[in-house]
Amino acid sequence: MSFIVPEERKVAQGVVIPSPVGENTDMITSNWRSQRPYMKDLDKCDMCRNCYIFCPDGCWTVDEENEVVIWNAKYCKGCLVCVTECTEKALDVADELDFDDGVVRLEKSF
Amino acid sequence: MAKEFTYSGCAASAQACAMAKVEVICSYPIRPYTAIMMELVKMIHNGELDAEFVHGEGEHAQFSVVIGASASGARALTGTSGVGMTYAMEVLSPIAGGRYPLQAAVADRALDPPGDFGSEHTDVMTARDQGWIIGWAETPQEVFDNHLINYRVGEDENVMLPQFVCQDGYFVSHIPGKVSVPEQSQVDEFLPPYKPHNPLNPKAPYIHAPQIKPNQGPVIDLQRAQAHLNTPKVIRQAVGEYNQIMGREYSPFLEEYRCEDAEMVIFIMGGHARTCRFAVDALRQKGVKIGMVKIRFVRPWPTDEVAECLSKFKAVGVVETSTSYGGAMKGGNLLHEVRASLYDLPVRPLTTSFMAGLGGEVVSLQGFNYVAETLTKAIAANKVNKYVQWIGFEPDWHEFVEAGG
Amino acid sequence: MAKVKTQKLKKFRTIEKAPAYEGYVPGHRTCQGCGPALCYRLIAKAAGPETIFVGPTGCMYVANTSYTCGPFAVPWTHAQITNGGAIGSGIEAAYQVLIRKGKYDGPLPNVIVMAGDGGTVDIGLQAMSAMMYRDHDALFVCYDNESYANTGIQTSPTTPYGANTTFTPPGKMVPEGKKLYPKDACQLVIGGHPAVKYVATASIAYPVDLMNKVIKALNYKGPTFLNIHSPCPKGWKFDADKLVQVGKMAIETGMWSLYEWEHGEFTYQREPEEILGVNEYMKLQGRFSHLTQEHIANQQAFVDAKLKAPGIAVELPTASSEPEM
Repeated sequence: MSFIVPEERKVAQGVVIPSPVGENTDMITSNWRSQRPYMKDLDKCDMCRNCYIFCPDGCWTVDEENEVVIWNAKYCKGCLVCVTECTEKALDVADELDFDDGVVRLEKSF
Repeated sequence: MAKEFTYSGCAASAQACAMAKVEVICSYPIRPYTAIMMELVKMIHNGELDAEFVHGEGEHAQFSVVIGASASGARALTGTSGVGMTYAMEVLSPIAGGRYPLQAAVADRALDPPGDFGSEHTDVMTARDQGWIIGWAETPQEVFDNHLINYRVGEDENVMLPQFVCQDGYFVSHIPGKVSVPEQSQVDEFLPPYKPHNPLNPKAPYIHAPQIKPNQGPVIDLQRAQAHLNTPKVIRQAVGEYNQIMGREYSPFLEEYRCEDAEMVIFIMGGHARTCRFAVDALRQKGVKIGMVKIRFVRPWPTDEVAECLSKFKAVGVVETSTSYGGAMKGGNLLHEVRASLYDLPVRPLTTSFMAGLGGEVVSLQGFNYVAETLTKAIAANKVNKYVQWIGFEPDWHEFVEAGG
Repeated sequence: MAKVKTQKLKKFRTIEKAPAYEGYVPGHRTCQGCGPALCYRLIAKAAGPETIFVGPTGCMYVANTSYTCGPFAVPWTHAQITNGGAIGSGIEAAYQVLIRKGKYDGPLPNVIVMAGDGGTVDIGLQAMSAMMYRDHDALFVCYDNESYANTGIQTSPTTPYGANTTFTPPGKMVPEGKKLYPKDACQLVIGGHPAVKYVATASIAYPVDLMNKVIKALNYKGPTFLNIHSPCPKGWKFDADKLVQVGKMAIETGMWSLYEWEHGEFTYQREPEEILGVNEYMKLQGRFSHLTQEHIANQQAFVDAKLKAPGIAVELPTASSEPEM
């Protein structure tokens, strides 16, 4: 007996899939946020690394050499824990649509 | 050179699994399969078998521990009886759907209520829908052989399914019989090492069983169905090779005993087939044209083989040692699958289900004689009296017994 | 017969020196500001790449692996909510024998069960206890968000007294909503499992402490247990950005304590100089907003008793035990 399974419905045998490397591109969550954190005053940043350590989504990485933290636009959900935990108030909140690359959230359930 | 031993079914299970070099065993005590585990742990503690023996906290845990083991690449074994099986039921589908080819050694037992230690097939028959390979053995020899054949079949890359290797509680598990045990080299020749599919291994990381998209559910079910469609061919191949290496004469799915010119056959599974053989011999001596058809695997169910085999006879008495209350034909569950297999035949044999051996009752020669008489009457009338007969309780049975049957 | 090599992970003192490794990568369907997700990320970081996770059903299964994907850079397997401890045991047993037989030539992987509170002390209790009993060299982590969150926030045995959940809604007949006081997961483990080497509580509010406890637990040979406070913005009803603040206030008020138990001794971490009243914590969360002074007093009495010393039976406040006639 032969069957035709459409490509987008295929699943690996036993539902065993390779682990992701670096990021899980099958669940991009940028369009969840209505606000985003941003570095308002870099001079205030003392590299406490709170933003890096407290992000549940790992959206801040530390650039040791340049002594800056780098924000991941692709996955940030806009929870703003980083802004609240920023010890020197270097980070602040802005509306997502204030930005050219601001992502619009569609009202579409999974 | 093979050596002959006298083993109970439980001891035969342990010996076979030890020779299969199982690596992780998870135990929990419940009558009557416990002796399998007792024998295996003795071998481990005496240095004869290198395996991890995990004391499970219950049957549900047993079947769960072996998932972790099989997913990590170890050949895994567990087992149980009766309500232990139904307690473990939650994890049966995850195992089969996860395609972990671990093995469960079952010495069957009637389900509660109430407590009854006697043999019945209902416990594992209840699990037919979960996607495992399932089959019964008639003798300790067949128990031994089935363990090895099942590991080989289950671990085949086109199959990758878990297996229930079943034996009748007490009748097979505890009554000793002769078992020809091959050399380890013969076992190694037949059974290659387990090759897990993308196991849990830090060197090559995989995610096992993520949540799936709703439209993928049917695809996984289809894959599982496909695996069962692939299995019969592998069973035939494996049994053929086993026969050749070990000097056996197993038919993969159905054994026909004295069916050559039979008008009627008894369709049966497991330990009571032993008594049935004697009954058939005695009836043949009296001139009754009767044979026995014994089925070795209920999953995958050999539809074509059953149809082709039974089409030759005028009447089939299906001896059931399991229940399926409220089911079609008001009988047991073997009858359902037999009748379904026969449906498309241009000429179908008459079929009747005989509920026998329930609760661990012996199925006596008298019982088989009653089956033969009932089938004889049915052939004469060209119809069955009832689709299901409860041996020991039918008015016709009492009449039969009083008349000296 | 090959000898089983174990890993020796290094402790550290500052976030700067925390391992850079990310075993739990961006891209998962957890809520904004999810405490358990942060917990997972920190544990994966501390444990490193020679790790295998077991994920019983719960938020950290369904949310993380929707759909047919996942953020786990290390091997990971689903478990039923009932059997996290059992599947973890099976993986550990397999690696013991596979290494011994020379079929795997790495060190023994860190086997870590990541269960929610339900999968630890309720439906998963049996399997957790058995793993602790059987001396498996593995770690059982409870990410405690004090509810069955994945199914829409129902009460679990670690839900605090007085919490509003969909199975403990406040109403005329039951004004506090939840009358029962929570189980103490660590005490269940410490009480009667002789093989257990190390039990500790942690909180996502103190990540360095959390990660070092993970490292300590993994370095021990034998079963270890961590109970990690993982606040849930959705279930506890607070704004997501307050995640760490809520976690800290739990410790300031004694509603959560940080301690370790090893060699029969307790040591505390981050003990507040002065313990604040429980309402300082409860007022931050919508799940307690229906409570009266009487209920708050009950909560206070319970926490006061618990703080006297761990391991001593707690006397429940009598006021709540009489039903309203």
